[in-house]
Amino acid sequence: MQKIETASSIHSGSANAGSLRRRVVPLCISLGLLIAGSMAVLMTRPATVHGQSCPVSPCPTASDPGPRPLPAAAGTFYPTLNANQQAIENRLTSIFTEVNYVAGGPNVKTVGLGPRFNSNSCNSCHAYPANGGSSPPVNPLFGLYNVEGGTNVMPSFETTNGPVIVARFPLNSNGSPDGSVHQLFTISNRVDAPGCTQETQPDFTTQQANNNIIFRQVTPTYGAGLVELIQESAILANMNSNTTLKASLGITGHPNVDGDDGTIDRFGWKAQHKSLITFSGEAYTVEEGVSDEAFPSENDETYPSCLPPFPVAPGTNKTHGVPDDRNDTGEAPKLPVNFTGDLERFALYMRFLQPPTPQAPTTSTTNGLAQFNAVGCNLCHNPSFTTPNASIAALSNQTVNLYSDLLLHDMGPGLADGVSQGQATGDQFRSAPLWGIGQRINFLHDGRTANIVTAIEDHYSLGNGVYPNSEANAVIQNFNNLSSSNQQDLINFLRSL
Amino acid sequence: MTDIKGNNMSLSKENGMNPQPRKHWWLKAGVPVVVLVLVAIAVTAYMPKTVKGSSTCTPSPCPTATDPGPRALPANAGGFLGTLAPNEVQIEPSITTEFNRVHDVIVTSPVDGGLGPRFNSNSCASCHQYPAVGGSSPPSNPLFNVYQYNGATNTMPSFETASGPILVPRFINQPGTTIPDGTIHQLFTVVGRSDAKGCSIQQPNFTQAQSAGNLALRQPPPTYGDGLIEIVRNIDIVNNMNSNLTQKATLGITGHPNYSGNDGSIMRFGWKAQVRSTLLMSALEYNTEMGVTNETFQNELDQTPGCVFNAIPETVTNFTPGILTEMFPADPERSEYFVQWLNPPQPAKNTSAINNGRTQFTNAGCVYCHTTSFTTPAASRPALGHIVISLYSDLLVHHMGPGLADGLPQGQAGPDEFRTAPLWGIGQRLWFLHDGRTNNIVTAIEDHYSTGNSTYPNSEANQSVVNFNNLSKTNQQDLIDFLRAL
Repeated sequence: MQKIETASSIHSGSANAGSLRRRVVPLCISLGLLIAGSMAVLMTRPATVHGQSCPVSPCPTASDPGPRPLPAAAGTFYPTLNANQQAIENRLTSIFTEVNYVAGGPNVKTVGLGPRFNSNSCNSCHAYPANGGSSPPVNPLFGLYNVEGGTNVMPSFETTNGPVIVARFPLNSNGSPDGSVHQLFTISNRVDAPGCTQETQPDFTTQQANNNIIFRQVTPTYGAGLVELIQESAILANMNSNTTLKASLGITGHPNVDGDDGTIDRFGWKAQHKSLITFSGEAYTVEEGVSDEAFPSENDETYPSCLPPFPVAPGTNKTHGVPDDRNDTGEAPKLPVNFTGDLERFALYMRFLQPPTPQAPTTSTTNGLAQFNAVGCNLCHNPSFTTPNASIAALSNQTVNLYSDLLLHDMGPGLADGVSQGQATGDQFRSAPLWGIGQRINFLHDGRTANIVTAIEDHYSLGNGVYPNSEANAVIQNFNNLSSSNQQDLINFLRSL
Repeated sequence: MTDIKGNNMSLSKENGMNPQPRKHWWLKAGVPVVVLVLVAIAVTAYMPKTVKGSSTCTPSPCPTATDPGPRALPANAGGFLGTLAPNEVQIEPSITTEFNRVHDVIVTSPVDGGLGPRFNSNSCASCHQYPAVGGSSPPSNPLFNVYQYNGATNTMPSFETASGPILVPRFINQPGTTIPDGTIHQLFTVVGRSDAKGCSIQQPNFTQAQSAGNLALRQPPPTYGDGLIEIVRNIDIVNNMNSNLTQKATLGITGHPNYSGNDGSIMRFGWKAQVRSTLLMSALEYNTEMGVTNETFQNELDQTPGCVFNAIPETVTNFTPGILTEMFPADPERSEYFVQWLNPPQPAKNTSAINNGRTQFTNAGCVYCHTTSFTTPAASRPALGHIVISLYSDLLVHHMGPGLADGLPQGQAGPDEFRTAPLWGIGQRLWFLHDGRTNNIVTAIEDHYSTGNSTYPNSEANQSVVNFNNLSKTNQQDLIDFLRAL
């Protein structure tokens, strides 16, 4: 694990990375850590270094107080849901926290895992600071990757105390664009996948050596029901506001417009999903291998012995085919909510989750908000939208303090991951909503840092021949130019969200 | 700013707000230029047409077969799979009602309302109608009964004809710009309807789009058997793609899947295979065809104040106990099941002509794109599993040349690429090709032929069409009879 933490700290530009970077390449080679070395050479961009020479001079002076401690300021349902909606809350929670197995057995409720998977339940990854959130302090994959007799090898980029990170390969072996998720694990040799032995994990080591792997961490889902309701007219009106000021700071941004239907997609690191239905439909099949009614394909069809139906224990009716999960007309008379498939229930779960609750303002955080606006953070991390009149009353006409414009911005070579998704190019990312970051543990799309000041500095990146300057550059310069106390107040404000 | 989608920095669906510079350009250019453009469009759009009965044809020799026309009713399609489980059968009436429901503007119950502010039609079944509910355009264009329903003041775009196919317009570029568009621009608005008082928006300027060569039209594809198509394994599609490579290379046939950017599976519905599943298709159509916002598509097509009449989304999962349990899921899910559970079309009985026609279909090379069949895998709805589906499509997209190209890329389908249209049910189909340009199946075959130009390569079908035209008169006719038997 040591080599990975070294590589990751280089990449993230954390506090002491500068001195490390100068030492590490020869060190890596001498230790035989060729992978980490090539990562450092090829992927490291001007790293932010506190207290020494900084890409953005002057160096930042603020320090990150760290995440606010528990109890969680998020993860509860709207108290304003009506009685019928509240009546299904427990059912929604249980489906979100349910562990999926490959095949049925006497004590198995949900089936369909694999053939490939990253995890076996939604809330294993969407866990912190409460169900529905993002990565917890201890990487949950270590507790699940080899249950049921699985024989997976943990990829070296996952660390026990690091974020859950999912791997994508920018290019196919023939050089054409890939960009898709390559699941970490397979169901080979699991006792609940009898006969499946042939699936093998991707060769992450080689992909890493070839610098053909990028990582994404888990996005929190609190308040997502409000985000999906924000009407396009509001997103565009905000985009077209303050254009002079934005231009002076080098900020543009554009929506990720769906190529087929023309609507603005808004979930995911590159705003590649329009709604919680497509988001949960995709996550179910991509992350867990549970095919569903939105995406009714198994995520690897190579080996028939690793595909449903699997033999099941006597006395169960859990034999299945594709899609692994579907609406269940048979259960309708028993309990109406069972009628909808899991993906609809996941969507309802996320839709019913309240946004994170910020801390009560203090003098420091109030000034921090003012500084946040003064330096220009708010021009992308737009403080709020308002939902329209909505059919779920709890979501209707709500102010949504998400701190995002839901647009894509060029972030420069330093953050670029080389993956295009819809109209998001290799260096473009959605302005990550900042609500809840007061308790967030890992930052940026690949979770490269746990330090919120470093995360800010990593927004700065000079263009190269491939990608333009980060649109955040001038704002980061403004931040670093703030007085020490203003900087700290801004950080305190963020940690109050 | 009454129409957010006219904004040329982002989306554009309507050109009622066409940017001023374009207008000036037209005014200055004057009538002669308009005429020239029209002529140019007419020439480029219709140039390599087969002229039946004329002395020269492209390709030569001219085809000799004639289209006997669609098989008469009763319908050879429609109706649900006979093997559905009792608990699926129990909701057949509910899902049938939903697919046939005429949507009004105002939401009056968890299952009704939500039309507009922009729309192409007001029910699924109005367009997916022939030869039975779930199919495609009927003999009389149903939009003529829809467009001014309930007081609406729409004008009918000139490309819709009373006895022609339903055509849905897309704009190639955002009006007045060179920024790619490609989205549907709905034909109609709710303006004037008694249930949409106070709404004031304009229909898109289709006349201008047409004269600018900026219009691409699509007819409704039939939905029979879609529940079977959606579960065909990707690997079977890929294996079929990689079979018969020598013959395909000889014929100039390649083809590739339109992979989903989401889960990496092969998309397979729509003229360019741009939609993955019946669920996503249904949710998309509720929104883009009828304007009904739903849990997957939560944006009104036009958010002009005064035109948004309902809470969003307009159809939702129904939490109310006591209402019929089969109404629990929202409308798109119920229409999803309607489409998912429909039987494939039943072909006519074999005759010796039809059998020979099938052989000629293979001999000419049609079969290398119009793959005879796939088999569905084990399915969690047992009625859909382990079925040989004779759809006559490889579910891949192919270059079809400048003659069919519509200029619209969708996903990995290029502007001249189309999904091999499944041929099952074409025995009773009234219009052919993506834009319904012909009702003659021989012409439809000939229109597969198109020589490349500086923009697009040759149609991959060219050699097969040449082969068809070179068949003996009897063999040609048998092939046509075989198609009309499907």
